[in-house]
Amino acid sequence: MLSDRHITPSTLSKKDLPWQVLWNRDKCTLCGQCTAVCPVNAIELGVFRKRILQTSLDTGSVPSSLNSVFHGIRQKTDPAYSCVGCAMCNLVCPNDAIIPVKSDEADKLRFHINQGGQPRSRGGRRNVKGGILDQIKFIRISMLTDPALDAGRHEFELRTLLGRILPPEKNLEFYYENGWIPPVRDIYPLIIGGMSFGALSPNMWEGLQMGVAYLNEELSMPVRICTGEGGCPPRLLRSRFLKYVILQIASGYFGWDEIIHSIPHMKEDPCAVEIKYGQGAKPGDGGLLMWHKVNKLIAAIRGVPAGVSLPSPPTHQTQYSIEESVAKMIQSMCMAWGFRVPVYPKISGTSTALAVLNNLTRNPYAGGLAIDGEDGGTGAAYNVSMNHMGHPIASNVRDCYLTLTKTGMQNEIPLFAAGGIGKSGNLAANASALIMLGASGVQAGKYIMQAAAGCVGSESDRCNICNIGRCPKGITSQDSRLYRRLDVEEVAQRVVDVFLSFDTELKKIVAPLGRSTSLPIGMSDALGISDYNAAERLGIKYVV
Amino acid sequence: MSTKDNYIISGKKDGKRVDSRILEEMIQEAVAGGYMNLEVQAFGQHGIGGRLFKSDTNGTNIIISGQSGQRVGAMGFANTYIELMGPASDDVGWLNAGAHIVVHGNAGNGAANGMAQGKIYVAGNIGSRGMTMTKHNPRFEPPELWVLGSAGDYFGEFMAGGVAVICGVGSQTPENVLGYRPFVGMVGGKAFFRGPHGGFSQSDSAMIPINDAEWDWLLKNMKLFLKEIHRLELLKTLSDRKTWQLIVARSPDERILFPKRSMESFKTDVWEKELGRGGLIGDLTLTDRSLIPVITTGILRRFVPVWENRKYLAPCEAGCPTGIPVQERWSLIRAGHVDEAVDLSLSYTPFPATVCGYLCPNLCMQACSRQSSLMAPVDIKKLGQTSIDAKLPELPPESGKKIAVLGGGPAGISVAWQLRMSGHKATVYDMAKKLGGKISSVIPSSRIPQEVITKELERVRSVIPHVNLQQRLTKKDIEQLLADYDILVIAVGARQPRMLSVPGKEKAIPALDFLAQAKEGKARAGRRVVIIGAGNVGCDVAAEAHRFGAREITLIDVQEPASYGAERKAAEEIGAKFIWPCFTREITNKGVKLESGKVIPADTVIISIGDVPDLAFLPESVKTDRGFVIVNDYFQTSNPRIFAIGDAVKPGLITDAIGAGRSAADAIIKILKGIRPSDNLRRVIDKKRIKLEYLDPRVTGFDGLEHCGSQCSSCGTCRDCAICVAVCPQSAITRVTKGGNEFEMVVDENRCIGCGFCAGACPCGVWAMIENEPIE
Repeated sequence: MLSDRHITPSTLSKKDLPWQVLWNRDKCTLCGQCTAVCPVNAIELGVFRKRILQTSLDTGSVPSSLNSVFHGIRQKTDPAYSCVGCAMCNLVCPNDAIIPVKSDEADKLRFHINQGGQPRSRGGRRNVKGGILDQIKFIRISMLTDPALDAGRHEFELRTLLGRILPPEKNLEFYYENGWIPPVRDIYPLIIGGMSFGALSPNMWEGLQMGVAYLNEELSMPVRICTGEGGCPPRLLRSRFLKYVILQIASGYFGWDEIIHSIPHMKEDPCAVEIKYGQGAKPGDGGLLMWHKVNKLIAAIRGVPAGVSLPSPPTHQTQYSIEESVAKMIQSMCMAWGFRVPVYPKISGTSTALAVLNNLTRNPYAGGLAIDGEDGGTGAAYNVSMNHMGHPIASNVRDCYLTLTKTGMQNEIPLFAAGGIGKSGNLAANASALIMLGASGVQAGKYIMQAAAGCVGSESDRCNICNIGRCPKGITSQDSRLYRRLDVEEVAQRVVDVFLSFDTELKKIVAPLGRSTSLPIGMSDALGISDYNAAERLGIKYVV
Repeated sequence: MSTKDNYIISGKKDGKRVDSRILEEMIQEAVAGGYMNLEVQAFGQHGIGGRLFKSDTNGTNIIISGQSGQRVGAMGFANTYIELMGPASDDVGWLNAGAHIVVHGNAGNGAANGMAQGKIYVAGNIGSRGMTMTKHNPRFEPPELWVLGSAGDYFGEFMAGGVAVICGVGSQTPENVLGYRPFVGMVGGKAFFRGPHGGFSQSDSAMIPINDAEWDWLLKNMKLFLKEIHRLELLKTLSDRKTWQLIVARSPDERILFPKRSMESFKTDVWEKELGRGGLIGDLTLTDRSLIPVITTGILRRFVPVWENRKYLAPCEAGCPTGIPVQERWSLIRAGHVDEAVDLSLSYTPFPATVCGYLCPNLCMQACSRQSSLMAPVDIKKLGQTSIDAKLPELPPESGKKIAVLGGGPAGISVAWQLRMSGHKATVYDMAKKLGGKISSVIPSSRIPQEVITKELERVRSVIPHVNLQQRLTKKDIEQLLADYDILVIAVGARQPRMLSVPGKEKAIPALDFLAQAKEGKARAGRRVVIIGAGNVGCDVAAEAHRFGAREITLIDVQEPASYGAERKAAEEIGAKFIWPCFTREITNKGVKLESGKVIPADTVIISIGDVPDLAFLPESVKTDRGFVIVNDYFQTSNPRIFAIGDAVKPGLITDAIGAGRSAADAIIKILKGIRPSDNLRRVIDKKRIKLEYLDPRVTGFDGLEHCGSQCSSCGTCRDCAICVAVCPQSAITRVTKGGNEFEMVVDENRCIGCGFCAGACPCGVWAMIENEPIE
């Protein structure tokens, strides 16, 4: 700050910022890599005065002041350039001379990132660490009481079903009466949740798809991936890999004309169609892909002209009730592929989820219900939506499951849980907990970005700049200068690694329970928690 | 010890089965008693024949007839030879530590489980999980399991040593002699087998050819095996080397966790084969998507440096109404070109010494970047005063275009000066005998030495033709001038004093009249002088009044006086009093009577509340507002051929008038060329770009022109310090000479990484980082 400058209410010191960039003058070689790489230009070369006083008390000597300068890295304090803690500076520094450190107290920036009356928006997920899923333990271990299963030796059928599963007699009845039975897919219980082409960079999106194809074709793991709302490249639509893909339709309907055009040319049906009504990260709010991100490629895939903003409204514009949504959307999407493809809605976690579920149970076309809890991630949302809106997934999915068991339909309509699974790195444990609470499978997005592409975003509000297109890892950027940091094959390989290790961990949880070699959906007697109220609420054992 | 033959132990006593514990005690007792050949008539007892630690070195032979229970020979000891005459139940040879066990029938599940030494010969088939968890302790020979038939499922799981031989004769599963999923978790040992298999754990084990040593071993031991199970007739059949296969454990380094295709191969041979070249979006874009480093150069840099030399106005240049690029003059001083620095000023002003050196409040210094860091601004006064000796550049030939300038004050002289510098003839019409306007007529000599004004006006007169008007201009004269000239510039100034409409106003003297009289030495002032209007002109009046004998000088104003700077200081020094707010009601012979009723006694009253132009001569086509001419941004009036500048437009400083003349001249020059005049689009540089850290903040005064030059930060103009060249970590910046004194800093884009160090280090704020052009 210049010394004669006045301060404004939003003039901040480094101490006021959430991240302080520590720079070590002794180690720094002034190579320029940190300032070249910083995604938000939070650091710059600074010129610093250094004054040396030469003093002596000897008679006749005159004290002198010697002015000199040195150069070093300076952190900016302008809120528009505040450090996001991604630590790319540290990553590239050859001498380990620079690192961002989280402030030791609540930052003051939070009170000022609403300049111009625009509240903060960001990427990432709820800035709250941990959660109930991490607290759930698997307490029922088979100690001589059940067949001893060995995760390494025994073969497990850790598969789940997506689609409406009718009891055999009902299926027969259905077949005789309608000449049709609902389609069902036998899939892997961990699904890569919807992240759109546009939200993700081309290299990231293709890496995920390639990894999924590899898992299916080389390792016989029927892993599925959801497109998110942003269309689907025509080549994928016309390839056999489409069967590994869940196409998402959401309120913006982007890319759906291209999908419709491709239907006659499809070699395979898609795995399923997900109708997105809500997202856990920003329940009841829409999205907006800013015009500057809509380059020629995105425009082509979404079927729009380049350089226009693409809004996804919070609601589907022509649907006014649950009944209408269920009847109209599900049936239309079923019709598109001749009733051969399961169709299910995805809603954000809400205390009204049961109402949706009740409607679905009465609709034979409904192939499941996906619920995205409050800890879900997103590429862009208002901070307030992310931090405060939504319902925790555990009790939401549990309530749904228990409702189904009351009507004996728990095996008929699968529930898929999402939102914060693997948030603390415990992907298999969180997934298993939700499955044992009643989910038929889980969807994960953010974990995949972290594990398969090195996303540095965290619930400590680190990075979380997916929304501005400057992802330092190239995951959420449409700028090839950034996304070329990401290698398609390496992402694909990491996807494979993630699923293989997840599979082993899942077995390491399922096998010791000793009950069976198939997915323990709803096996809640295996669960325990040291929080009495949580135990009561979820209907699982209270253990201390 | 003597030998005792055929010691028979029955598993039944009194028609009842003997407990396994009792039978074990009986066997142990017999062996301890020296019996070496036992026959155990088993009745389902557990663990027969194991743990015979007391057997001497010659060994103990146990024949088991009847129905043996589980774990025959469990924890079997070396020197124990067990022969089962019928089939074996589960876990035969469990944890065998050396016993030799022959089974003349089939063996159940778990045969040889955990065996570490010894041999087990099975004349039939074995159940599941045979040869599992076997070990090879290097202190002993490896354990062996020989099976004449086939193995059950999960054979060899977690096998860690030993040799298994599956002969495949009379197999219970002839289509798969190794059973389902054999050798999972195998880490050691080997298995010879003969016959078809249904697959085995590829990640743990591998099939390898049988070498000669191994074949010799197999053949040699095969004889022993067949002999003991009494099937020597099979030797020939089993000696066909090509029917045998060998599976060994993979060593840790050749272990394949997941045998799989490389992703590279998957991409080429599966992914792109199905989708086409370029993968998912190869049909939609040609953008190169291959991997790049994090730190990049050229087109892949996120930001690129731009050498924005002279793109922005220095604050001093922007602050100067005349528009003199002060920083350029200091630059010339630093380069040792003092004369050029001095002469440069004449391109901007005809009065560099008079104005910059004396009369101007030096707005450049007020704007100086150094002020923003509480540092003393670079002092321009000295350089201004030095400009008295500025040499006139060679004038270009006249273009033939003619401009008439009405008024020979600073504004008129400035516009005529600039026009002449550009080759146009500008003739100044003025009522005065000599050019100079207020500079020569009303500025008190205390403010500036007369010789400075004289010298600069002489320089002006040598360039600009002057028509000395004898009478006031009329509308008709203007018509004639418009006919005779291409462009007319109104620069008549504001010479008509504004007077108060109060009784007795005729008793007061207008300030300009007083100053002009003073200048001529004819002014008269009483001892007590009241000056109505305490602005800078009022202050000048006060100083002059003092010079002419006034001793009690009072300046009154209706509001806080706006006077400042040298004028105010001079007035205060001579003891003038400032009183406000004062509203004049009347001017009487006694003095000034205020609305409050108070009378300020005065011998002389001078009114100094500003002046307005006399514009009676203007044609209708020139619009005015409240007595001043209305002009656009470049001083053109509503009549496109008539311009107006100076106090006729808006009262201001001399430098404002000179600047207006320069701007108007610029527009006129363009119009004469047929170009649309434009505003100056250069903006003032953001002071945050200037690095004052290089300058010593403790400098409070300047020791000559060179010192001034060295302490100027040269805002927005490259000072050729080469710090950027030195700071660039990539050595990407080069100074390129462009002829004369001109040069350029050039960036090698193939070396630059876009770190912005040049921008960060540049003392002048010349370097800027901009986003690289988008890549589609």
